[in-house]
Amino acid sequence: MRNLLRLLLARHGLFVAVCGALLGGFEWLICAVVASVDVTGALGTLVQSMPSLLQTMVAEQFLGDFSKSSLLAFGWAHPIAQALGAAVAIVLAAQAVAGRVEDGTIELTLAQPLARRRYLAAHVLFALLALVFVTLAGLTGTVAGGHAYGLEPFRARELARLGLDYFALLCALYGLTLAFSAFGREGGRVATAGFLVALVSYLVHVIGSMWEPWKPLVPWTLHAWYVPRDILAQGKAIARPLGTLLGVGLAGLAVAWARFARRDLP
Amino acid sequence: MRPGPRATLPLMHALEVTDLHKRYGRVRALRGVSFALEPGEVFGYLGPNGAGKTTTLRILLGLVRADRGRARLLGEPAGRPAGRERVGFVPGELRLPGGMTGRALLDHVARFRPGRPPVLRERLLDALDLRESDLARRVKWLSHGTRQKVGLVAALQHDPDLVLLDEPTNGLDPLVQRAFRDVVRELAARGRAVLFSSHVLSEVEAVCGRVAVLQAGELLAVEDIGALRARLTRRLEVRFRGPAPADLGSLPGVTRAEAAGSEATLWLQGDVNPLLRRLAAAEVEHLVFPELQLEDVFLDLYRAGGGPAR
Repeated sequence: MRNLLRLLLARHGLFVAVCGALLGGFEWLICAVVASVDVTGALGTLVQSMPSLLQTMVAEQFLGDFSKSSLLAFGWAHPIAQALGAAVAIVLAAQAVAGRVEDGTIELTLAQPLARRRYLAAHVLFALLALVFVTLAGLTGTVAGGHAYGLEPFRARELARLGLDYFALLCALYGLTLAFSAFGREGGRVATAGFLVALVSYLVHVIGSMWEPWKPLVPWTLHAWYVPRDILAQGKAIARPLGTLLGVGLAGLAVAWARFARRDLP
Repeated sequence: MRPGPRATLPLMHALEVTDLHKRYGRVRALRGVSFALEPGEVFGYLGPNGAGKTTTLRILLGLVRADRGRARLLGEPAGRPAGRERVGFVPGELRLPGGMTGRALLDHVARFRPGRPPVLRERLLDALDLRESDLARRVKWLSHGTRQKVGLVAALQHDPDLVLLDEPTNGLDPLVQRAFRDVVRELAARGRAVLFSSHVLSEVEAVCGRVAVLQAGELLAVEDIGALRARLTRRLEVRFRGPAPADLGSLPGVTRAEAAGSEATLWLQGDVNPLLRRLAAAEVEHLVFPELQLEDVFLDLYRAGGGPAR
């Protein structure tokens, strides 16, 4: 398994490192913006001039609270922060099976004395380590940025919860995409399907939060269970969101294994 | 090639395939294929593209699941990783991780078998004329032939007891093909079993002792290469220094003859020497045995009246 992990590190290490650095940099930037601009006052004025629907939307994002904690939480709920983590989760899952079937290298790898379960386990382990790295890079950006710009530091427990929730969201996306990957033959198509799932989940969540007819759909999205604002601004516990997202990830993994163990390759 | 540490195998089939069936949707890729290989044997697996050769090899490696039948590699059921420990495999469409250098790839493949060091690597690099400069380059920048050579070294470097080769000489130049055939013969001489899948009859003839002929998923024959050669009808093209003799059809072994002016085409079966002795009495200017094509083999096997054989 170490042999495969080494190969995966050589193949995806740079991509994961870049995504992690970008997320860390983005969270640092959010700290810089929050510290150096009177975002609270500016947003308050801006919101008052908005149509009521947009006011509702902003209120949903910040819960009517423009505290610095809320603004930093917005940095974690921002599409850029989610896209960077999702990119790592989806690309690694799409490449694990479908990508290797597409480029043909899975034939040579599985012709070695390597069980399929060990092959998949190595890919899952590498992905989990990569997702932990990206999450920690983002948290490091928040902590270091907060320290550099003199923002009131978050408690370690809140940061840990935020990191766990972000990590769990990425695990859910990874598990679902891995299930697609186990059925697929083309990495690009599988990655597209994974991104569509993430995009639809995000859009339904945002629209459902603003528009009453779509509200019943919200709990069925992954993003309903990703709650940085609840964690940072309100200090809420996250057992249920965490359980839901990790459950989705595990279900995806189970489907992926059930299919991968039996399918003909390449 | 210096002898490896495992000079002998226990008494058993190196490879045993029994009644394999495989279907892809409506296509029946394999229909009751059975054969066995003994240690020290180079076994030709001959068939046109789409005959089921690659499917058989993939079943042996556990990449594809058979619908029915069983296969054992070195005593282990096909598909078990333990069985692949002592197997070397060259896929028909060799696809290597392009980002690695040739050397890194060989090391990567070797690390899958910590108990079997790559004892043959240097010998194979030398035999296949792979230079250090080739191995220092990323695989994706290598020519097709050089990539194929790297794949061959990766498959054989651990001195496997059973070698599965799927069209292994694709893209190799004739000199390297010959060197590779020598490597295969040396492996067999030291007790290793080799399954040599190919659609090129001359290649199989050059290196294999027995051959299975596969068409549309069915075995037409499994027999000694000499016996197969003897029962095949070969074509001979002769140009005489004058008009072609009239009685060509009655020459020894000739089953059919066509003559036009000074040129004649003869079809013959069995030993060619009596015919050559008779032809020597005439003034022959030019004589060619065109290479036997796979289609000729199939036609002959069908004409023999047996039809598909198990």
